[in-house]
Amino acid sequence: MKKVLVVFLVVLMMALSTGCAPKETASDTIKVGFVGALSGDQAVWGQADRDGLMLTVEQINADGGILGKQVEVIAYDDKGDQLESVNVTKRLINEDKVVAIIGTNSSGRNIAMAPVAEEGKVPVISTFATNPRVTVPEEGTLMKYTYRVCFIDPYSGEVTANFAWNDLGAKKAAILYEISSDYSTGVRDFFTKAWTDLGGEIVADEAFKTGDVDFRPQLTRIKEANPDVLVMPFLYKEVALSAKQARDLGIDVTMLGGDGWPSSALLEMAADAVEGSYFINHGDVDAPNVKDFRAAYNEKYNKDIEINSIMGHDAMMMLKAAIEKAGVADPVAVRDALETLQGVEVFTGVINVDPETHNPIGKAASIIKIEDGQFKFFKQFAPMK
Amino acid sequence: MILQQIINGISIGAVYALIAVGYSLVYSVLNFSNFAHGEILMIGSYIGFYALTKLGMPFWAAIALSVIGAGLVAVALEKIGYRPLRLRLAPSLYFMISAMGLSIFLQNFTIVTIGPNFRTYPDIFSTTPIEIFGLNIGRLDLIIFAITAISLVLLTWFIYKSKFGNAIRAASYNMRVASLMGINPDLIVSIVFMLAGATAGIGGILFGMKYTVYPWMGVLTIKAFIAAVVGGLGSLPGAVLGAFVLGITETFTAAYISSAFRDLFSFALMILIIVIRPGGLLGVVATEKA
Repeated sequence: MKKVLVVFLVVLMMALSTGCAPKETASDTIKVGFVGALSGDQAVWGQADRDGLMLTVEQINADGGILGKQVEVIAYDDKGDQLESVNVTKRLINEDKVVAIIGTNSSGRNIAMAPVAEEGKVPVISTFATNPRVTVPEEGTLMKYTYRVCFIDPYSGEVTANFAWNDLGAKKAAILYEISSDYSTGVRDFFTKAWTDLGGEIVADEAFKTGDVDFRPQLTRIKEANPDVLVMPFLYKEVALSAKQARDLGIDVTMLGGDGWPSSALLEMAADAVEGSYFINHGDVDAPNVKDFRAAYNEKYNKDIEINSIMGHDAMMMLKAAIEKAGVADPVAVRDALETLQGVEVFTGVINVDPETHNPIGKAASIIKIEDGQFKFFKQFAPMK
Repeated sequence: MILQQIINGISIGAVYALIAVGYSLVYSVLNFSNFAHGEILMIGSYIGFYALTKLGMPFWAAIALSVIGAGLVAVALEKIGYRPLRLRLAPSLYFMISAMGLSIFLQNFTIVTIGPNFRTYPDIFSTTPIEIFGLNIGRLDLIIFAITAISLVLLTWFIYKSKFGNAIRAASYNMRVASLMGINPDLIVSIVFMLAGATAGIGGILFGMKYTVYPWMGVLTIKAFIAAVVGGLGSLPGAVLGAFVLGITETFTAAYISSAFRDLFSFALMILIIVIRPGGLLGVVATEKA
């Protein structure tokens, strides 16, 4: 199925690039664009984002669509590359004339896409871009056309610090982070602040670069520092590699991660190395309200759901509410509706958009524990303010 | 801690060494760098992975299959991508472009056919490290080191003691003169690619066991290429030396200067070495080899 889709996308791209861009037909459908990593490092999540979105749209269409119109999704692969994200965003806006764009799952790419959306006046709803600068590039400014369905890194850092301090009773923390990622450096900064405010000590602060596969030098230093907890705010591939290498070096402290962890690929790759670790997540795939959707997802794609699929669903529901509120499928009207959107119930909580920051207020983090090679819901934190 | 860091550095250097040797071999005879070498390594790694998981082969058989498979792929690539250029005496820039094309093609071909996911080798060796005087040495690292050493010894023996090795060394001085002496250049080039492919096959399987397997893992061999240049392109001992120098430099920068600056410092050092000794540590300055 995946292979067929990739081939299909390649053919689609070729068809589009040979100059016969589809003429705008009578707008009897609502076109929604999707940008995500369908290949590359983050393909597991990009594909999950898209699959969740596709299934949601299928369900919406079966129920009569939005404002009586069927929804059509145009999905492009950005390969996890910021430059590609910008290219396909331009194509979605200028050639496909979409009403809104859903994606991506990473802060760096959404930061690159935001100015393009601003210029083209088409709203973007990110599924997983958690860095504050995605919507507020610097204090006092606002990306008018960028929104998100996830909580943000300062909250994530704070929850991580509080959890390590109160629940794990840790006093000395070591951090390993990815210096070339906006997400990872963001969480590291916010964690450090929250941790020192609590009175904790940072005994090691080590960096690596995207694409690195060997973390032994950094981990050897971390081992020397003898921390109570090791904070690892980065993505599953590096988590798996570094966790294994940490265990090889004899580091046996509790590992604590963020929303880059949840992926079945992590459990496959890291196996025992991450057993007993905790991470912060946007929701819980085992939650009762997700059950029916999960069953439909399993049946349609013949694989288990990822948290990203749920975020893809939630982003689409947020968009649906905004289009209905606007009463018309026009990008600018939808943007205006998004800005004051309140009380939209989605799988991962209730979305109340803060007009000042475009962040969804009231979304809460879950702590997930890895136990017996499975993700288990551990506890819920107080919502983001 | 310093001993542990030296061990870390050597364990990275050993993998770089195997890959760097492949770059150097091809360069010594053809005077160009085969930038598709990383993809041969990737293919070798996938062959090893499927031999172990799907075919359930024992480890040594998987290595053999991976070596043969990667060697044949390398020879095939030479026939498709480089031989036509060679026959027309094209400048080396054209070879590089052809190599980059092959590299991008193979990466994308793997993504479309096998898929973009990361795959993990099964644990063949116990993962509990050996502890000596508070140092942790991974069993896998020891095995990797041993396999690398054996491969390099065999390769050196082949190059310096066998008849084909003599021919390869003759061709590396001057292909034209060598062919006048009755050495078949096509055969020599094929053997060189077979050898380079074989080392990439071993490198791939070791790399896969140590880290993970994915379609664009070949990109990482760029570091091994740099190691080969620093050691002196075309020189096999140079490639090995360069690899260990790079591995240990990287580790020490991360350990004693700053992990954030690891690549910045270690590559600045590499540039410095090249500036001071343009031929590399053990290479000879040969201006036409550019």
